[in-house]
Amino acid sequence: MSAPVEDRREEWDGPVPVPTGATVPFWAGTLEGELRYQECDCGNRQLYPRAVCTACGAEDPPFEDSEGVGTIYTYTVCHVPGEPGFGDRVPYVVGAIDLAEGPRLLALLDAEPTDLEIGSSVAVTFWRLSDEAAMPVFVPA
Amino acid sequence: MAEPILAGVAESELGETPDRNWLDNAAIATVRALEDAGCSLADVDGVAVAGGDDYMPALVLSEYLDLDEPSFLEGTEIGGSSFEHFCGHVRDAMTRGEADVVVVAYGSTSKTGPGRDRSLEETHPVDGFVRPTGLFRPPGAYAMAARRHMHEYGTTEEQLAEIAVATREWASMNPKAAQQEPITVDDVLESRQIAEPFNLLDCCLVSDGGGAVVLVSEEKAAELGVPEIAVAGVASTSTHRQDISEMPDMTTTGAAVTGPKAFAQAGITHDDVDVAEIYDSFTYTALVTLEDLGFCETGAGGEFVAGGTTAPGGELPMNTQGGGLSYCHPGHFGVFVLIEAARQLRGDYTGERQVDGAEIAVAHGTGGLLSSSSTVVLRREA
Repeated sequence: MSAPVEDRREEWDGPVPVPTGATVPFWAGTLEGELRYQECDCGNRQLYPRAVCTACGAEDPPFEDSEGVGTIYTYTVCHVPGEPGFGDRVPYVVGAIDLAEGPRLLALLDAEPTDLEIGSSVAVTFWRLSDEAAMPVFVPA
Repeated sequence: MAEPILAGVAESELGETPDRNWLDNAAIATVRALEDAGCSLADVDGVAVAGGDDYMPALVLSEYLDLDEPSFLEGTEIGGSSFEHFCGHVRDAMTRGEADVVVVAYGSTSKTGPGRDRSLEETHPVDGFVRPTGLFRPPGAYAMAARRHMHEYGTTEEQLAEIAVATREWASMNPKAAQQEPITVDDVLESRQIAEPFNLLDCCLVSDGGGAVVLVSEEKAAELGVPEIAVAGVASTSTHRQDISEMPDMTTTGAAVTGPKAFAQAGITHDDVDVAEIYDSFTYTALVTLEDLGFCETGAGGEFVAGGTTAPGGELPMNTQGGGLSYCHPGHFGVFVLIEAARQLRGDYTGERQVDGAEIAVAHGTGGLLSSSSTVVLRREA
């Protein structure tokens, strides 16, 4: 799959991810609308990306493309901005998303709080924040 | 194995200390705790310190206090539970005969000091998966965990609020508490929304201040003639760090592991606990910890705290100084949890503030975003 990537570079005042080490392939994928997770030869799937597999210790486990869909494990509605650049956005929703492939990811949810509940299906889109990275943002599926 | 004796406790000024830095507050609390124990800086042969956001904090504090070749240095930073965690290392050192008088100290200027914002270039790459989401931490992370608990077990905002109400009742008897006016469940529910399901009164204070406890060997305690408040059990663990989505199950914490271990070392069960000092960064923190320590079944925390169970006169006196919710919360609250547990066991208070005949206290710290858990059992020797 390849999800839409919306260019928000001009307007974004918030923190911007800095690809380094094991996270470079992940962030490279986001620019193409791909949400990647690591799937080790041992079968373990993980996010965030790490230089080692947390199950078997293999170094640099390879990346796979996710289907980009999942469900909400839990979420909160922030009424106080947690980072620079979020002041005009309150209230906004941040959730923990269980991807269909297994790994769980913290992510901004671009949705009205009333449209969401634990267990709701969501799908990924991307906001491009810099030349190097786009942030996965989930919307109701 | 040695059982360190908690011989002295003290706070620095709390609330706002604009003319002090973290180190000043830690040092002031240290000398006051030493005085409380009946000893002096010259007796100190070890320090354990966390927080302060300083490089090599144990060396910084040792130098600041001009300690003479301390034999025990500990600066492991696991957040708010560091101080309970230190108790285990102090026990090990005292078992080996390497230290007789150790200061466990903390200082902060969380309220009036400079912020600690660092750019993502300077921090761990994991933060690149957290900070761009805008999650307001710590409240939003704890709120996500609370929301999951509500979903799985039917816990309500009213039940969470009961903790804030009971804690404020204790604070109303503590002249050092920042917030002493009684509150109701409705006050909590109607206070400003912070990160749903949390309102302002579900969240701890932000304070300046420091605290310290002095742990001494059994021999030194006998020499000083202090009441013997023994560290009878200690255990620590962690489940994740700064990304709450890495927490395996947000409805249970490391306390489910550390509680049974510490209780077993002390030879007690939760039924033996007379007073519980439990880190309450948020109402949910205390609720889930009560469950994990075994004071009620998993998922039954909401019912357990309803009706003033943890309030003065309740079945389980908890956070008897007013907790992080109403007394103070200078970033890491763990040291204050130990301070109050010791004071209750010594019988320092009068009237309703004193838990009558308290002999066993549990002091539990939680650090990070429900990330680290450390349980200490304190026992007053007859």
